[in-house]
Amino acid sequence: MVVSALGGRTQATVQQLVEMRRQLDDLQRQLATGRKASNYADLGAASGLTIALRSQLATLSGFDQTMQTVGIRLELAQTALTRIGEIGSATKASLLQDFTIGSDGQAQAQRNARSRLDELLDLLNTQVDGRYLFSGRTVDGPAVASGAEIIEGDGARAGLRQVIDERRQADLGADGLGRLVLDAVGNTVSLAEDAAASPFGFKLAAASTDIAGATVAGPAGTPPSLSIDFGAATPQPGQTVTLTLSLPDGTTETLRLTATASTSPAAGEFAIGASAGATAANFRAALDTSLHALAGTRLVAASAMAAGAEFFALDATQVPQRVAGPPFATATALTAATPSDTMFWYTGEIAPDAPRGAASARIDAGIAVNYGMRANEEALRTLVQNVAVLAATSFAPTDPQARDAYAALADRLRPALDGAPSVQTVQEIASDIAAAQSAIKSAEERHRQSQGVLAGLLDETQGISNEEVVAQILSVQTRLQASLQATAILYQLNLVDYL
Amino acid sequence: MSLTQALTISASGLRAAQAGLALVSSNVANADTPGYARKTLVQTAQYTFAFGSSVDIAGVNREIDQYVRRQLRVEVGGAAYASLRAEMYDRLQLVYGAPGSDAALETAFADFTTALQSLSASPESATARSAALNAAGVLAQQLNGMSADIQALRGDAETGLAEATAQANEALQGIARINQQLAGMAANNPAAAGLLDQRDLYIDQLAELMDIRVVADGNQVTVFTNSGVQLVGLQAARLEFQPQETMTAAAHWSADPDERSVGTLMLVSPNGDSMDLFAGSSIRSGRIAAYVEMRDRVLPGAQAQLDAFAAAMAQALSDVTQAGAPVSVGTQSGFDLDLSGLLAGNNLRVTYTDVGSGTQKTVTFVRVDDPAALPLSPGGDPNNILVGVDFTGGPAAVATQIGAALGANFTVSNPSGAILRILDDGGVAVRMDAATTTKTVTGLAAGTAQLPLFVDGSSLFTGAITGAGAQITGFAGRIGVNPALLADPSRLVLLSSGTAAGDATRPDFLYDRLAQASLSVAVPAAGAPASSFQGTLPNFLRHFLVQQGQDAAAAASLRDGQQVVVDALRQRANETSQVNIDQEMTTLLALQSAYAANARVLSAVKEMLELLESL
Repeated sequence: MVVSALGGRTQATVQQLVEMRRQLDDLQRQLATGRKASNYADLGAASGLTIALRSQLATLSGFDQTMQTVGIRLELAQTALTRIGEIGSATKASLLQDFTIGSDGQAQAQRNARSRLDELLDLLNTQVDGRYLFSGRTVDGPAVASGAEIIEGDGARAGLRQVIDERRQADLGADGLGRLVLDAVGNTVSLAEDAAASPFGFKLAAASTDIAGATVAGPAGTPPSLSIDFGAATPQPGQTVTLTLSLPDGTTETLRLTATASTSPAAGEFAIGASAGATAANFRAALDTSLHALAGTRLVAASAMAAGAEFFALDATQVPQRVAGPPFATATALTAATPSDTMFWYTGEIAPDAPRGAASARIDAGIAVNYGMRANEEALRTLVQNVAVLAATSFAPTDPQARDAYAALADRLRPALDGAPSVQTVQEIASDIAAAQSAIKSAEERHRQSQGVLAGLLDETQGISNEEVVAQILSVQTRLQASLQATAILYQLNLVDYL
Repeated sequence: MSLTQALTISASGLRAAQAGLALVSSNVANADTPGYARKTLVQTAQYTFAFGSSVDIAGVNREIDQYVRRQLRVEVGGAAYASLRAEMYDRLQLVYGAPGSDAALETAFADFTTALQSLSASPESATARSAALNAAGVLAQQLNGMSADIQALRGDAETGLAEATAQANEALQGIARINQQLAGMAANNPAAAGLLDQRDLYIDQLAELMDIRVVADGNQVTVFTNSGVQLVGLQAARLEFQPQETMTAAAHWSADPDERSVGTLMLVSPNGDSMDLFAGSSIRSGRIAAYVEMRDRVLPGAQAQLDAFAAAMAQALSDVTQAGAPVSVGTQSGFDLDLSGLLAGNNLRVTYTDVGSGTQKTVTFVRVDDPAALPLSPGGDPNNILVGVDFTGGPAAVATQIGAALGANFTVSNPSGAILRILDDGGVAVRMDAATTTKTVTGLAAGTAQLPLFVDGSSLFTGAITGAGAQITGFAGRIGVNPALLADPSRLVLLSSGTAAGDATRPDFLYDRLAQASLSVAVPAAGAPASSFQGTLPNFLRHFLVQQGQDAAAAASLRDGQQVVVDALRQRANETSQVNIDQEMTTLLALQSAYAANARVLSAVKEMLELLESL
């Protein structure tokens, strides 16, 4: 069935009216949506531009989202780092105070250090929206173990306290002489390390004397040993024998024994005997006392420092070391700790690359800020290590040397908390983060300006001017009304009516 | 002279006035009837009497301007073509959604890249991971939906063709019937005028459907197609169209009935001969031409763009390109390529310099597992050709085929396992510059940043080519997010078992490939070499959205232009043929008074006769 169209004249008239009505509808749509066109065709030549503008705006808003997310992380990281720095200073300051060892075997500074350690570890486990900031790339897991676990260990896994104790045993040796063997035969006093290439105890560095006729040999040999022959010596009061010893933490101690004519020599003195043999025997006894005293104080402190360094050495190139044993007092080597026998303090990502690269955020085309952090970074590790060593070390309250031992430890921890020169500091990490923050800030500013320009341009190309559209509507409306009236009049203008 | 003579003459006057009145009433009644041409009475004086003549009705004249009508017919065909085309382009524009709206493809794509930016900032976040996958899913669904819409439009064009065929047959039969009725009728037979109007209407209807040529001979017309095939004379040919029930992206027209999967227009002449009107492009205007153009060119082109976009996106994320290992044997140098893991549709590409001309040439060898698909079309650029290689015979056979394709200047061998060695001739005639393989990563945790994020239904998308067609055809309609990834969204980040949760390597890679990497996108074209686009995915997206918008705008302006021409011609035709009521009323008045005058003469004669009788 052929559907007939309207007749010629009517069709043309209707078409014109329909077209005007369509224009009116379109203008109304424009007013309602604020958009010039409802499809790409109507946008004409500008369609490509609008797509590009929207795509750019979407990219910018993606960057903005990233910056917002990362901005929060950086702010919290900065807060954590500031507090971490404060803990370092506070701990250092506390080391100058009260040296009294309490009934629990610890000084007040140590008790404070325990709670500071907890806070430090808590800060290193800072998380934002489930993301750990100091874990490198393994952001889904905590960066460090808890303070209790690190100090006390967990079941079969040894904590720092145990590791320090084992190292202390190994450094002191069973006789408490710092793994040295002291002997006197005839006119000669000999002092030797108890094992070759053992990392423990005192190491003989040098020996000398200004006593005429006394001969000092060594230190030499394997294991190193030295001897002082008083056979031809004519010691005068005030003349000295000087021994230099290296301690496990790399410090050296000088032991100077002064000859005296007194029959009751004070500490650090030895009595000149009637014969060379008697002098040698006196010297041996004095040396024995001095070595014990040195071992009980500074060697213990140095041992704790060394144990701390070994316990906290955990990165891509090294794993924690422990004394091979038991027995520990006679151990002669260190062994690598395993996660099953030792508490590993750092639980974040271990990777050889620079920590900052572990988290990277793109904040603009071609600009990325790196803000990854790992708790085992030099500055953070040193801080945790020193605070933990302070907190984990304890002394026998009855030990008369306990106060000195603690003082020796405090002496070592103060410079350690400052950090060695040319070694990373917490401030350096903080300034890296601050650099990222300022990069984000300037990118945000840049984006705000670009967004303003782009959005304005987009609005110009695809948007409408209300005044213009309203004016157009009025004009079309007038035309449509006029046309309708004219059409009506035309159809009425007919001879039929006048016949 | 007799009184009866006067009686007869006035009676003929009355008859003529009555006939005139009948025409006036017919004109007024049909003032708005389509195809109705104003009729006027042709009357002549008949000199049969010595002192007067009676009125003879010679016939009915149709007021038409044949020249304008013919031109109008051509332009109406053009207008029908342009307006239908514009209408379908308009509907195609709806498929792309309002610019910047949630329904637009660009929005879905932008949302996906933004989600990847967020994922890159928080790779460990389960929320960011599932948000990225959701956005990918929305994008895939958007492509699926658009693809379905385009195929639905093609289906509409197919249905439209079937309807147009039915209308054309009705018109052809009508023309044949009237031709038969008119045969033997006198040209000025008043009854003929109505039939001629009716036949013109049929011809006009036919002209809206297809471009035709009309040859008139007396009161008979013969209608031919533009290419000169007779459609109707005294007998009508029959048009046949078998519509395809469901339209898919792979369905296409071919002159070969075995390959054709959409309907074609067959012309069956009265003597039983049949011919395919689409084969010779016999129809270039009218609604049928518009439907065919949309069904076979415009809509498949739009589908091909979506397919290319989907394929480029899937492959950008899943394909790894590896450079071959340099190797030299004596003076010859070249590359060793590992063919293992090269899937059907993956390729190996050889770049060399022709030393004589200094031209750099590239040959891309595509793995083909179905020999029926070979040989592939080499593409339009002689310096960058495509060669299909049958991999079913193993690496040695592959080496032989590649050697044959590269020519005698190259030595291609299979030294061991799946290694392919391609050597030049030592720089005499050719110099090897590079050789690469491009392979699709199959697993989610293969240790590479690449992953098959998008898949083709339940299988990988590798762009395989088989005898049945290319995998890319209609891919936009089937693209989906890898179900394995949906089951384990952590794989958006964890590229191997040891990857840390906060490692942004993979999210960064995905974002880079989607938003910033310059890709070479091949857009397949029906029956022509694929066109190539070099640029980023967003640029390609913009490129084809703009192109479609411009095409639609051009179609609309063609329609508007054509409408202006048709309106003008219609105006002209109307001036001649249109019934003017005022004119008719004037005629009516004239006829009324003529009738009254004739009646007055009659009554005068009657009085005179009565006077005679009473004498």
